[in-house]
Amino acid sequence: MTIRFDNVTYRYATGKGGLSDISLEVGKGELLVVIGPSGSGKSTLLKLLAGFMEPQAGRILIAGQDIRGVSAQHRDLGIVFQSYALFPHMTVLENIAYPLKLRRVGRDERIERARNALREVGLANAGDRLPGTLSGGQQQRVALARALVYKPKALLLDEPLSALDAGLRTDMRDLITHIQRAANIATIHVTHDQEEALSMADRIAMIHEGRLLQLAPPRELYDAPVDTTVAAFVGKANLWPGRVVSPTLVATAFGNIECVASAWQIGAAVTLLIRPEAVMPITDDDGQGKGPRQEDKQPGRPINRFNGTLTQDRFLGAVRRYDLVVGDGVITGETGYRGIISGVTISPDDVRVLPA
Amino acid sequence: MGLVTFLYTLYLIAPIALLLVGSFGTSWTNSLLPTGFTLDWYREVIGDASFRRAFMTSLEVVAATCVVNVVLGVPFAYAVFSAANRGVRLAARIFTLLPVAVPELVLGFGFIIVFSSDYLPWLGTTWLLICAHIVLTLPYLVATLLGDMDRLGIADMEKVAETLGAGFWQRFRDIVLPSLRYSLLSGLMMVTAISIGEFQISNLVAGFLSRPYPVVLLQAFYGATGLACAATVILIILALLAAFGGAAGAHLAQLRQKVRA
Repeated sequence: MTIRFDNVTYRYATGKGGLSDISLEVGKGELLVVIGPSGSGKSTLLKLLAGFMEPQAGRILIAGQDIRGVSAQHRDLGIVFQSYALFPHMTVLENIAYPLKLRRVGRDERIERARNALREVGLANAGDRLPGTLSGGQQQRVALARALVYKPKALLLDEPLSALDAGLRTDMRDLITHIQRAANIATIHVTHDQEEALSMADRIAMIHEGRLLQLAPPRELYDAPVDTTVAAFVGKANLWPGRVVSPTLVATAFGNIECVASAWQIGAAVTLLIRPEAVMPITDDDGQGKGPRQEDKQPGRPINRFNGTLTQDRFLGAVRRYDLVVGDGVITGETGYRGIISGVTISPDDVRVLPA
Repeated sequence: MGLVTFLYTLYLIAPIALLLVGSFGTSWTNSLLPTGFTLDWYREVIGDASFRRAFMTSLEVVAATCVVNVVLGVPFAYAVFSAANRGVRLAARIFTLLPVAVPELVLGFGFIIVFSSDYLPWLGTTWLLICAHIVLTLPYLVATLLGDMDRLGIADMEKVAETLGAGFWQRFRDIVLPSLRYSLLSGLMMVTAISIGEFQISNLVAGFLSRPYPVVLLQAFYGATGLACAATVILIILALLAAFGGAAGAHLAQLRQKVRA
């Protein structure tokens, strides 16, 4: 079963939000994560797919069938909402068995299937409890079991982890991907948490102001964002406006930066993207860069070198995120190195040239 | 704070306590407290045909008011809650609160004017009295239900149920009604308490043979003090029963709320 959006457009009467001309496809068993800031239109996408609204243009296909005019009740999708929305007057088992009851599955069979679903989410013993007695993470699991027990055509997850605390969230990510793979079901997961997206997705769709900016696997989205909006939203980024002066040189507020700009015309306005982990600290003792990937660099190639003052130094455990003030600009870097930092180097290969 | 609470409680309890004392006193004229002990006043109230009749009328009116409240109030509250348009929701809420805001006297006169005409000559019938009580009590039930629908997250639950494959009636039966049962109980107790003690409209609208208990009670005040006290105590007991029932319902609803949170 697959999900497909063909040139889908929806505009709200207020003129704000909505979607313009979205096309994407989610394959069988694929986990597509839709990300974007709030108000970007990602919730609209879910509502259109769920059947709470109909697109004004374009079409949505589930398993190859146009679902225009099919009500939410008959779309046969499994949806997990942010609020879980378990039914408080039913036990956990009754909650999970409810969609089967609606499908007129016999009593014994639906209890059996609900028990299996509950076991898969690791709550085998919670069947007789009321949802109100469960923790947030457990309620989340019940909601997931309830959305999958009737083998829906596709699974939609609407910010399912945003109400959980940080520690639990990472565990739930693994659980969701594990269960989603086991069910081998086309899944759309909507979130504003880019880390969640990067760690879970087969592919990520980045939506901004109702438009699909990029649809790519997590690594490609991170390493090769199509523009500054994507670059800034996914991961940390140093973004420097500049102008191409030669195929290997871009002029910026930090001076001329060595990079690969051969695809751009001389004089073109561009933005340079440098991820913080590509910024290598120069250590005071030997004056050489000592970052973790220093060995990879070819000797003799030009390298961008900056000296400055450390203004912010955030120790995050495994890494340290620091701000180095160079002239009027700030370079943010990440390193495992714990010594004094007074300068950094950036390899030309690690500088990505984006449209301005 | 403690003192204020004490004084307030005293102010609230004292008249009721005095009524209770007076209902057992043989005679109570020009003295601080009555003299003698007797159960005669209660016997007299119970033996009085018009009191008995009024008591039964009151129960009838309360029962009918509750039933119609459920039949009208639940769908109405649900419709207001589900209305997509904010303006509609606001208008509906204001509209339901009108009977609370308008003085009962005004409502009563309205009833008299409309239903004493030749076209609608129904003034004095029991069912018109019931209608008056419904108009008066429905806002309280609807307000209780609407408040709880918001708090319980019915909208989200319904949305989920729809995606799980539940149609409108299935959602109403399986999700909405069970979620609202405690809320309905506490709302109905309030309706009962209001209906039992209601005097103003009843006095204006009720016919001589369909007078509810509070209206007949007024007559007792023209007779012996003890009789009036005894008759009032019976009304208080009825009202207290309803109030305690309401409190218990609200408590249950709250307990469930905690479980959910």
